[in-house]
Amino acid sequence: MTPAILLKIKGKMGGQTARKFRQGLSSPQKGVESMKKYSDLEFLRLSKWQKFVYKFLSFFVAIPKAILNFFVGIGKGIAKFFAGIGRELADVVTTFVKGDWKTKVSYVIMGFGSIARGQVLRGLMFLLFEVVFIVYMITTGGYWLSMLPSLGHQGRETIVETVTKFGRTTEIETFQYHDNSFKILLYGVLTIFFIVAFIYTWRVNIKQNKTAEKILKSGKKLKSGKDDLRSLVDDNFHRTLLALPLTGILVFTVMPLFFMILVAFTNYDYQHDGLINLFSWNGLNGFKQMLTWSSGGVNYSAAFGEILTWTLIWAFFATFTNYFLGMFVAMMINKKGIRLKKLWRTILILTIAIPQFISLLYVSKMFSDNGLINLALLDMGWITKPIGFWSDPANGAILSKIMVIIINIWIGIPYLMLVATGILMNIPADLYESAKIDGASGWKQFSKITLPYMLFITGPYLLTQFTGNMNNFNVIYLLTGGAPTNAKLSGASAVGHTDLLITWLFKMINGTEPKYYLASVVGILVFIVVAVISLVVYGILPSVKNEEDFQ
Amino acid sequence: MASVKLTGVKKIYDNNVVAVHDFDLEIKDKEFVVFVGPSGCGKSTTLRMIAGLEDISDGTIEIDGEVVNDLQPKDRNIAMVFQNYALYPHMTVYDNIAFSLRLQKRPEDEIYDKVTNAAEILGITEYLMRKPRALSGGQRQRVAIGRAMVRNSKVFLMDEPLSNLDAKLRNQMRAEIILLRQKLNTTFVYVTHDQTEAMTLGDRIVIMKDGYIQQVGTPTEVFEMPKNLFVAGFIGAPQMNIIKTQLTKEGGKYYVKPFGVKLEVDGQKGEDLAKKGVATRDIALGVRPEHITLTHDKNAIPCTLEVNEMMGSELHLHVFTEDGTRLIVRVPTITLDPKDREELVAGKKVYVTFSGKVMHFFDPETTENLLN
Amino acid sequence: MNNEKRHMGMRTLNAVSNTTIHILLVIISIIWIIPFFCIVMQSFRVESTHMVSYVIPHTWGLDNYKNLFAEGSFYPKWYLNTFIIAIFVAVLQTLIVLCMSYTLSRFRFKIRTKLMRFMLILGMFPGMLTLIILYNVLKDLGLTEANSVPGLILVYVASSGMGYYVSKGFFDTIPKSLDEAARVDGATRAQVLYKIIMPLAKPIVIYTILTAFMAPWGDYVFAQYVAHLVPDGYNVAVGLNSWLSLDQIANNYTKFCAGGVLVALPVGILFMCLQKYYVEGVTGGAVKG
Repeated sequence: MTPAILLKIKGKMGGQTARKFRQGLSSPQKGVESMKKYSDLEFLRLSKWQKFVYKFLSFFVAIPKAILNFFVGIGKGIAKFFAGIGRELADVVTTFVKGDWKTKVSYVIMGFGSIARGQVLRGLMFLLFEVVFIVYMITTGGYWLSMLPSLGHQGRETIVETVTKFGRTTEIETFQYHDNSFKILLYGVLTIFFIVAFIYTWRVNIKQNKTAEKILKSGKKLKSGKDDLRSLVDDNFHRTLLALPLTGILVFTVMPLFFMILVAFTNYDYQHDGLINLFSWNGLNGFKQMLTWSSGGVNYSAAFGEILTWTLIWAFFATFTNYFLGMFVAMMINKKGIRLKKLWRTILILTIAIPQFISLLYVSKMFSDNGLINLALLDMGWITKPIGFWSDPANGAILSKIMVIIINIWIGIPYLMLVATGILMNIPADLYESAKIDGASGWKQFSKITLPYMLFITGPYLLTQFTGNMNNFNVIYLLTGGAPTNAKLSGASAVGHTDLLITWLFKMINGTEPKYYLASVVGILVFIVVAVISLVVYGILPSVKNEEDFQ
Repeated sequence: MASVKLTGVKKIYDNNVVAVHDFDLEIKDKEFVVFVGPSGCGKSTTLRMIAGLEDISDGTIEIDGEVVNDLQPKDRNIAMVFQNYALYPHMTVYDNIAFSLRLQKRPEDEIYDKVTNAAEILGITEYLMRKPRALSGGQRQRVAIGRAMVRNSKVFLMDEPLSNLDAKLRNQMRAEIILLRQKLNTTFVYVTHDQTEAMTLGDRIVIMKDGYIQQVGTPTEVFEMPKNLFVAGFIGAPQMNIIKTQLTKEGGKYYVKPFGVKLEVDGQKGEDLAKKGVATRDIALGVRPEHITLTHDKNAIPCTLEVNEMMGSELHLHVFTEDGTRLIVRVPTITLDPKDREELVAGKKVYVTFSGKVMHFFDPETTENLLN
Repeated sequence: MNNEKRHMGMRTLNAVSNTTIHILLVIISIIWIIPFFCIVMQSFRVESTHMVSYVIPHTWGLDNYKNLFAEGSFYPKWYLNTFIIAIFVAVLQTLIVLCMSYTLSRFRFKIRTKLMRFMLILGMFPGMLTLIILYNVLKDLGLTEANSVPGLILVYVASSGMGYYVSKGFFDTIPKSLDEAARVDGATRAQVLYKIIMPLAKPIVIYTILTAFMAPWGDYVFAQYVAHLVPDGYNVAVGLNSWLSLDQIANNYTKFCAGGVLVALPVGILFMCLQKYYVEGVTGGAVKG
């Protein structure tokens, strides 16, 4: 696209967001119900302090409601789901009763109706799918499914043979492998997905019979195989486009996640690797281990609590330091009268342009105990022993934590500078002009126009930044690897003071003694934390947007 | 060149908002039909359903006798001009106009002839190698029309094509569309919110409100015989004056008594009322501003002048009567002698009246025209 | 007098604040550049290979660079691995992301909003969890360790459809009436896509290619897990990181710097050239949320 047109589109977008922004400012607070509500006119009579308290309280009063809405939403969703299934079943029955014989045969031989009515291509696809499914279920699927409840009966067997040769007796150990829990779980999950797909296809097959009957009755012609193919580049083009991406997501994200969620309910770890020693279903024990306090042995709940707290603190600081400093830098560069704007921007962007692992690893080494900084300071005689940037556990390793946040600023500001620059340029100039005429000072212009505008527009972005930072593996892992080690929690999979939940999880699946089921538990807990934060914040944000507004 | 027939057409959006209710209309071959109404009345939705850009929730649309409900836009043999022109920004004017022909895989020679021919008609030959962004609004509009012209399609659809142009250009383009229509000689469906465009362009006008057709008729019909108060108010500028009053029948003759001044309903209107057998009743009396005259007769309706808008050839006088009702009076400048004109300043007392031949009678409850 | 002061005040205040800002920007720039300056300097250091207390080398030379490509060095292999992965990912991921985002932007099919919500929820799971199973599956397919390149390509590309947000935001800004006009003009949906939308979507295509190309250079987690300690299957991130382990750092620190510079140069230059598109994508994405 040409720049001129892009500019136009951007301008248009800016105008619309600006309008919505203005509406957002003037619309009364929503969702405040259980506290005293002021009408707009009453609110205006409050003092500045009262207004602040009112808004502050409104925000927190809205939180439980947002949570409630969340659960009500889930409940409604489930109810809707079952109602939907009921409707489908009813339709299946009525279609059978009212349908002609071709339809009835299709209940057993999929695609029969389509073939009999001349839609050969469609029918054959259905039939082929049914045949594949039946063959698969008989040959292997049935076995995996039957093993799923137990996850296998027998692991590796060691057979000791005593061989006597030349008068000497030696014992030879051979291994015989039997069941494989991992494979049973994996293929069991696959089989379940396959069954669901089959039921769905069967249902589609019946639906098609019904519509075909209807179309024939009304005297119209059915679509031929050629029409079907042609529609794949026209009115069904979206199916063509989505087929590949969605298959990828299904196979490489949905099914693995489903599998891993199931793993959380087993005892899959290095002692139960599923081959030598089988693993088995273990109920909620993983969650119990992670969430309940135990005084003896390895205290996972303490580790979890500590790491979660640090994760949230980290995410908060990482997000907001970057946000405000990035905005600050953007405003400095964009200020009228500043020269070499492009140069400053380019220098900052260096940290985006250069792969993070290089810059992070290098900086990590720079600050290590025998790294450049410490060696130089020692040389100059400023210090007598190295500063433990990554090794000093004093005060909960506060030094390392601050360092991590500071270095993250170095990495993160440039992104925010770009984002802020884009938004700042989109703020309609007339807002500033009218503010100037009204007599607003520079600071007032910032606090009354720039900041609210930025916050309004970037609300959802801030949220994704926050959850993204919670899972910011690279910065922590490449910078500190979790160090300094947390002696208090030494047993719990090598926890360090700067470990986030996500790096902890990685240590659990990557170390010499992996604990896969605990990693899954942590993963699920991370999901829950992220989901709750997202939903609550999203429910309260003023700029929850209607996507169609932009079009 | 074809007829378009809409039978019971309905549009219901996913959120159960009904945009168009039971739309019945038969557009004859080579007819120019204008859909007009305020924004959100469903006129554009109806047009887009004809084009195939919106699904039809219920009813059927036929083009040239063929039901097109399930046809893709490309298979309906229509041409359309969009409000924002929708020119392809990455193509030159020539390529824009040639786009549909290229899709039909016509020979390049034929494409060249057709495009240059259309460009000539529209006077955009010298811009053929430019990109749309280098064109002014009016030129873009012409390109959009040219793109639709070359298709030789059965129906020509236009969705508010002039609303992005400034007033002067709009008048000019309006005249050109009339000329174009004579040249193309095909069926036109034209959507606008501007009643002037509707009146000047349409063979027939379809006036819509809230998804319902209010009236279908020729410009003369809708102007002289508005079916209800909405149409009466929508067609004609400035708006028709509406006066709440009573219609009395005395000895076979009808009288109205606006603001205490008794006026006889005479001529055709009186006869029509008699034919319908209308009895004494409350009515909403409609009088167009151009039918109200200033008079020196002290028995006429006394008013106070509030605003005097000088339009050049005529004056628009905003006056209010003794009970505070506001009326608009349109006075051709030429009928006033200069001395009187000088005196028409705010606060001046004037007397107005109107003839019984120009009155419209509406039921104040149902808003329907009593003579319908 | 008073009035004059007011006028003068504004101008001098502006000048003072601008000078302050210039000074600040210079300081910021120096901070930003220092680490990169250091890494480049140290990559030319010949006299020692471990970490030292000074930045400017005492003896300059290209020894570190030569060592990277010396006989028996895995570096060329790592570089090649990463490059192949990056090329494939750039092409395939772009295709998938564009299919996904265009569809979600333009078509209004029944499960569209549900699909988007589902993917949003899916994205809240830490993707790292799937490592375990993906590793095992890839191992069964023989795509791990020394053969990790195709395995990694598969993993990176397969789920890339979920990253549709930015480009969908871009497609949303292309007026829908263009699609409609083209469809009335006789184009099928597919023709609309490649005749009208694609030429207009150049910036976002470049943005997607650029980000897709850059991601594999920096990925550590998946690459490390899939390569599973077999140096033949490392990418540069895993390989260079292995040089910084406790037992290797003394010998390989300057080599790491040289290796890092060689990675940073092409990727960085490419990025700088296409900066404009990147900025557009990032800004649009943030505004859209």
